[in-house]
Amino acid sequence: SSAAMGTSTPSQPAPPFPDERLDIFTVDYNYVQIPYEVTLWILLASLAKIGFHLYYKLPSVVPESCLLILVGLLLGGIIFGAEEKSPPVMKSDVFFLYLLPPIVLDAGYFMPTRLFFENFGTIFWYAVVGTLWNSVGIGLSLFGICQIEIFGLTDITLLQSLLFGSLISAVDPVAVLAVFENIHVNEQLYILVFGESLLNDAITVVLYNLFKTFCQMHTIETIDIFAGIAKFFVVGIGGVLIGIFLGFVAAFTTRFTHKIRVIEPLFVFLYSYLSYITAEMFHLSGIMAITACAMTMNKYVEENVSQKSYTTIKYFMKMLSSVSETLIFIFMGVSTVGKNHEWNWAFVSFTLLFCLIWRALGVFVLTQIINMFRTIPLTFKDQFIIAYGGLRGAICFSLVFLLPVAVIPRKKLFITATIVVIFFTVFIQGITIRPLVEFLDVKRSNKKQPAVSEEIYNRFFDHVKTGIEDVCGHWGHNFWKDKFKKFDNKFLRRLLIRENQPKSSIVSLYKKLEIKHAIEMAESGMISTVPSSASLNDYEENIVRPLSPDEMNNMREILTKNLYQIRHRTMSYNRHSLAADSSEKQAKEILIRRRHSLRESVKKTHSLNRNRPAITKTTRFLSLPKDTKLPEKLRIRNKKSFRVGDDSSDSELEAPTTVLNLKPRARNILQDQRHQQPQQQFRMELRNEVNGDHEGRGDHREAAYETHASRGYRQPLLSRPRFGTLSEENVTEDVRSARPTPPPRLVRWASDAERHNNKSENQTY
Amino acid sequence: MGSRASTLLRDEEIEEIKKETGFSHSQITRLYSRFTSLDKGENGTLREDQVNFRGFMRTLAHFRPIEDNEKSKDQNGPEPLNSRSNKLHFAFRLYDLDKDDKISRDELLQVLRMMVGVNISDEQLGSIADRTIQEADQDGDSAISFTEFVKVLEKVDVEQKMSIRFLH
Repeated sequence: SSAAMGTSTPSQPAPPFPDERLDIFTVDYNYVQIPYEVTLWILLASLAKIGFHLYYKLPSVVPESCLLILVGLLLGGIIFGAEEKSPPVMKSDVFFLYLLPPIVLDAGYFMPTRLFFENFGTIFWYAVVGTLWNSVGIGLSLFGICQIEIFGLTDITLLQSLLFGSLISAVDPVAVLAVFENIHVNEQLYILVFGESLLNDAITVVLYNLFKTFCQMHTIETIDIFAGIAKFFVVGIGGVLIGIFLGFVAAFTTRFTHKIRVIEPLFVFLYSYLSYITAEMFHLSGIMAITACAMTMNKYVEENVSQKSYTTIKYFMKMLSSVSETLIFIFMGVSTVGKNHEWNWAFVSFTLLFCLIWRALGVFVLTQIINMFRTIPLTFKDQFIIAYGGLRGAICFSLVFLLPVAVIPRKKLFITATIVVIFFTVFIQGITIRPLVEFLDVKRSNKKQPAVSEEIYNRFFDHVKTGIEDVCGHWGHNFWKDKFKKFDNKFLRRLLIRENQPKSSIVSLYKKLEIKHAIEMAESGMISTVPSSASLNDYEENIVRPLSPDEMNNMREILTKNLYQIRHRTMSYNRHSLAADSSEKQAKEILIRRRHSLRESVKKTHSLNRNRPAITKTTRFLSLPKDTKLPEKLRIRNKKSFRVGDDSSDSELEAPTTVLNLKPRARNILQDQRHQQPQQQFRMELRNEVNGDHEGRGDHREAAYETHASRGYRQPLLSRPRFGTLSEENVTEDVRSARPTPPPRLVRWASDAERHNNKSENQTY
Repeated sequence: MGSRASTLLRDEEIEEIKKETGFSHSQITRLYSRFTSLDKGENGTLREDQVNFRGFMRTLAHFRPIEDNEKSKDQNGPEPLNSRSNKLHFAFRLYDLDKDDKISRDELLQVLRMMVGVNISDEQLGSIADRTIQEADQDGDSAISFTEFVKVLEKVDVEQKMSIRFLH
């Protein structure tokens, strides 16, 4: 009844519905419209990317951004032609709230911080003063042009042209990233341009809002100008503070996530996005906030999260930023087509001209000043690249669409001019920068390298220098950097990092290798001797003959491709790939070989004097990439058997099961040798290994390295053609012959292991 | 940590090291704290090769950048450890494993093998090594002596490559 229903309206008869037959098949597009369209757009963007890379040469000549804009133009044309109305313009808030943050996050997270801070003064100088210079310059000169009557632009006031100047002078991080991606200029140059594009957001936000408000105000007092200056500091510093604060909170949160590893990556993304939108809420600089947050988070989060979470974060970030970038460019293309334009030859061409001139002038003048303070002055070529790399992109685009028409009556003119500038910078500058870089480079290096030996020596020196830098703990030239590191180590790291545990792929690789050896030993019990590579070198008297140019080129190519790179402390930023892969692989190779050679040397000394007590060495692999952390004492005693083919298998080892299988076999073999005592220890350590794996991270991991139960010999890790795989027959012979010798080693080693186990657990790398 | 380091290192030692290597007082104390943090075994040496602090400093002194004012002063004194010639000598000794003042093909091969990925076969590496020796060798002994080494590297900016900036 109505009382029960709680309504006071008198009950009415239900309106009669027309009778409908039951539909077997319906299409309800309205229900799914928004997610459907979003998905289709993203799908289209990604398919376009695939399409570009089908023709392999294309991405190297034309940057992807250009191609994407073209696709967008095409689409926009189709939509326009089909529906006779302007296609959906990329709404500015969609851009600023959803599309821009992932790109900036990605860039900030992988920013080479050391280089960034070393050049911070220069970057800041360019970003703030440079953008100011550009804005005011362009604004004033455009106003001057507008005063000329024949162009028909006299209704544009000074403030309006200043407003336009401020939004058109913003160097865009998205465009810079997209173009500098492929040209591989040196790190320093890249960080200058890119850092500038990030930091100038603060200035752009302030100027844009300032001039927009001024346009709406009737009178401007001097207090307002001072307020504007103060606002700059608030915007910039406020944004950075929000970012840093949330970065610390994120790091702190990840300290406790070791039980729920699956959602660890989520925290990274949530906190950084939160910093962005919080900053935007206060009208502070969101870009600076998210950059600061990402840079802060990176250091600590990296150590707290598991390896898999870290990989997930990296990949997901790259994916998001790639999709965003693609969408942005396509939307720019689509939005260009339409009725939003007003063409005026004078305005457009002078805008373009002034953008170029003021940029070049600005860079030149500012560099002269900043060079007095720099340790390494910037050359003309650097300046040219910096000036040429000042690309405009989606930020200007969105800002111009955001202009209120009431304030700016000639908005369409501005839109047209902005689009022309953007297209010019992205297309013309984007395409020509690569040949220009190569052209300038050729001019710069006046000494060719005729000698293969020079290349070798150069690389050799680089390696030596890196090694010595490692020994010195040399990280930077800065007193402040050192201070910060001390503060960091004393307080921040203790607070924010769960345990200082090494957790890297190299560590897991070692785990895998040890387990593999133990398995092989258990399964086949083989011991084989393999002669050292040095003794196999029988070099006849080689008459040194002159080489043909082909052979020389061949040699040089071999060297350039295969010489190990020096380990870079800072990974260079790359939009499309995760830079760590090749150097990680390289590091693994180096480690394996080093370990092998150490084993060889130990074996040599061991075979020379049996009676010497085993010295356990502390091998510190200092020449490793920054994020490899090894437990301190690695036991290297016997060589292991290792079929070369196995090395390539990178499958995730199901550690618990394999280790469990090992135990019974191991016990059999060990019992053969009538040693109960080490066997106990062996099993105990294995158990630790198992427990450690179940937790995903074990304090007993260090014990795992001491399970050197295997007694095989490892083959030197050289190319396959030269050393074939070990054949079973040879092996078994040696087993029989060598059987008497292993037991003493095993005993001694096991007791050593126990003795040193305690010691190593107290020390961290 | 800084104060602890300086009490363990006597002032006259610091002076001696300063004279020998050319580092400044603060650099020496800083490097000493670094040395002690590397020396986990706390026996005054690094690793079993018995590198003590003096040896450590001497090695590092090779990597001090060459300063302009050093070139002018002290022409009749002993050559500073970070002169170009001494830097080259240091690098040469890294190659010359058996210390016979020559880089033989074998030694070169060993160094090359370490620097290069596993994809290169030994024949290729051998020919690269041969070529390297051939380019440098002037007296035809199929080995590189120190003078030949210097000659090959005369165009290379060794001062820059073998220098790192030490914190003050």
